Amino acid sequence: MKASSSPGFINHLLVYTLVMICFSGSIGLGTVWMRHQISLTANTTKQLDARLSAVDRYLAEATAAAESERDANVLLRRNTEWNLGLVLPNQAQIVHVTEDPVMRLASKRNRALFGDRAATVAFPLALRR
Amino acid sequence: MSKGFASNYRIILLATGVIGCFCALGTRLVFLHVIDRDELVRVVEKARRQIIPESARRGDILDTRGNILATSRSMIVLGVDPQSLRPEDEKKWPELAALIEMSFPELKRILEKKTRPAPIVPPESGNAAETSSLPLFSSTLGAAEIAEKPVSPDDDMQLDERVGVNGERLIRWARLHESISETTYAKIDALGIKGVYGSRVYRRAYPHNSLASHVVGYVNKAGEAAAGIEAYADFYLHGRDGWREGERDGKGREVAQFRTRAVTAADGYSVTLSLDATVQHILEEELQEIATTYKPQKATIIVSDPRTGFILGLANYPSFNLNEYGKLSKADQGMMRNIAVADIYEPGSTFKIVAASGALNENLVNPATTFDCSITQIDYRGRPRNLPGEDHHFTEPLAVAQIISKSSNRGAAQLAMLLGEKRFYDYARAFGFGQVTGFPVGGEIPGMMAPPEKWDGLTITRMPMGHSVAATPLQMHMAMGVIASGGVLLRPQIIKQISDARGEVAYRYTTVVKHRVMTEQTAATMCKLLKGVPIEGTGRAAAIPDYEVAGKTGSTQKIIDGRYSNHHHVASFVGFFPASRPQVAISVFIDDATSVTGSYASGGSVAAPSFKRIGEQLIQYLDIKPVYSTAGTNSIVMGGARQ
Repeated sequence: MKASSSPGFINHLLVYTLVMICFSGSIGLGTVWMRHQISLTANTTKQLDARLSAVDRYLAEATAAAESERDANVLLRRNTEWNLGLVLPNQAQIVHVTEDPVMRLASKRNRALFGDRAATVAFPLALRR
Repeated sequence: MSKGFASNYRIILLATGVIGCFCALGTRLVFLHVIDRDELVRVVEKARRQIIPESARRGDILDTRGNILATSRSMIVLGVDPQSLRPEDEKKWPELAALIEMSFPELKRILEKKTRPAPIVPPESGNAAETSSLPLFSSTLGAAEIAEKPVSPDDDMQLDERVGVNGERLIRWARLHESISETTYAKIDALGIKGVYGSRVYRRAYPHNSLASHVVGYVNKAGEAAAGIEAYADFYLHGRDGWREGERDGKGREVAQFRTRAVTAADGYSVTLSLDATVQHILEEELQEIATTYKPQKATIIVSDPRTGFILGLANYPSFNLNEYGKLSKADQGMMRNIAVADIYEPGSTFKIVAASGALNENLVNPATTFDCSITQIDYRGRPRNLPGEDHHFTEPLAVAQIISKSSNRGAAQLAMLLGEKRFYDYARAFGFGQVTGFPVGGEIPGMMAPPEKWDGLTITRMPMGHSVAATPLQMHMAMGVIASGGVLLRPQIIKQISDARGEVAYRYTTVVKHRVMTEQTAATMCKLLKGVPIEGTGRAAAIPDYEVAGKTGSTQKIIDGRYSNHHHVASFVGFFPASRPQVAISVFIDDATSVTGSYASGGSVAAPSFKRIGEQLIQYLDIKPVYSTAGTNSIVMGGARQ
């Protein structure tokens, strides 16, 4: 095949055109695929974002509902309804410790061990003759 | 490739055709992208471009322990497009009615009403144009597809722009429910009724209902902060709405990959109050008790930390439910008034601390200095002045300590006379009377206190006993706080800190000392004097066993028809404890209580017992320990012994 001949030129032109079409097509397909992936990623991100927002909203609703249940009036009502019998301690039940609590606990413990009587201690002595 | 095929004229034709096609394609592309570009881009952008607003979530209001007092919940404004309803969905209508708590006939009426006479709103209002542009989304779409654009709650219906031959417009959207919870909406969505639409909006919720309603305030249906901390801290709470610009597809859904610009919504900051929900509950329970027993017109109780000026609780009677503020009738809207700062009264005997503190601070007297309180007239600046009457007749001269504990009007008048008008007035101003305290919510008023040049001859004898002067309950509370804090006037504060959406503290409020009123020594002396009131004075009902309580009773006659009434009083007790190391200051004010024991409802008989009950609960809740003081501090100056 002579390169300078007209049919040869046409052949080359056709081959190059086909190569170019294939090349352009593959670039086009690649671009389409890429844009599709971008679209998928964007939609996934959007859905995740929406799901996050939904979770936040449900969380806010649950928090508000939980807070309502923690209201003092509701708790008092529950206490009555469920017969829990919970009451605040009154002043008479509270003993204020003004001295050193360690010494107080130690003396309490000692009283429990020895009572109020004086401790008697026996020392066995060995006498050597 | 065969030479025969290549040399065929058809190949030239084919090549020419291919090149021609490319040329045609190229020419079209030139027209599309160069010559007609602007016009086409404009059309496409108009059809596809959209700006989606993103609502910022309003910040929470928390109490000092992190309990939520106000929060924002996502709610659904539920509506229907009657034109889109399908006959096969009719069997689901009763279930829908049950879910939205609407009677079935009412729901059926809304669903079956397809048209409405036009116009429904005046054209100049522009509402129709605005509302018709609101995006509506089918409930059959996913939750993420629901419009986040708020729908104005005033719009109950949206009509088609076109008017029919009979002069009626098609109803495109009718409201079914104003606020459906997310959970309920999920159930409605699951029903799959075509034509039921929802728009998501943030609504304010107050989990504790009426708790601290006068402090927290509320946001109205239009989303505007109307009162309380909601209004005061709105700048921090409301956040900043965002938006994103992008394109939508043929079904109106956002095409995520074509987002071009976006401004993220910034959620509002959270405001943490110094108020404690449990303390507040104790106060409100006590107010209910007071209301049941004494049936007063109004009452208020304030609890604060006198060392810092931070308010731990502030409750008023009557009160209202923050979640139902819209249901209050015009006549009941007075309940929204924060009477602790917006109402004034004559402070009565509680005001005697001013004259006593002034005289002691100026070293004009000492606690043992005596005054004849049996006299009815006294010379002052060369003129005889009539002294006010007393509830009790004092035959013996009273020491300054006894003037306080036994609440002698004539004794207080003589102390003020020692000071003179100018100095007495200056001390009263220094205690904070006649000027706003700086409390941020409730529409505070300064009270009334005329300068000495406007006084008449009797004012110097009447003002020391709390007449001829008007103060708010909070002013009186903070004035007592001067003695508890060691002689300085503090600014009452309710906000502790402001945090951003991630919990980082943006601003922390600290104690604000306005000025010094008296020396620490005078304050300590006043503490000792005030300890006598619950021991042997007028406020015995306020005494708490094992605790040193300092305070002062007040029983002010109300002015009815221009005269002081003998039957209508404002009873009060303002005090703090433990006196040697104050941890809480409590003020109780009861307006026009019905007496159940004595001739009239006095501070000692009505307010002092409340002080005691509140104090006893606070001792346990705040773990306030009694001060077992060293020798001397338990025996007060007038000789009263403390067991």
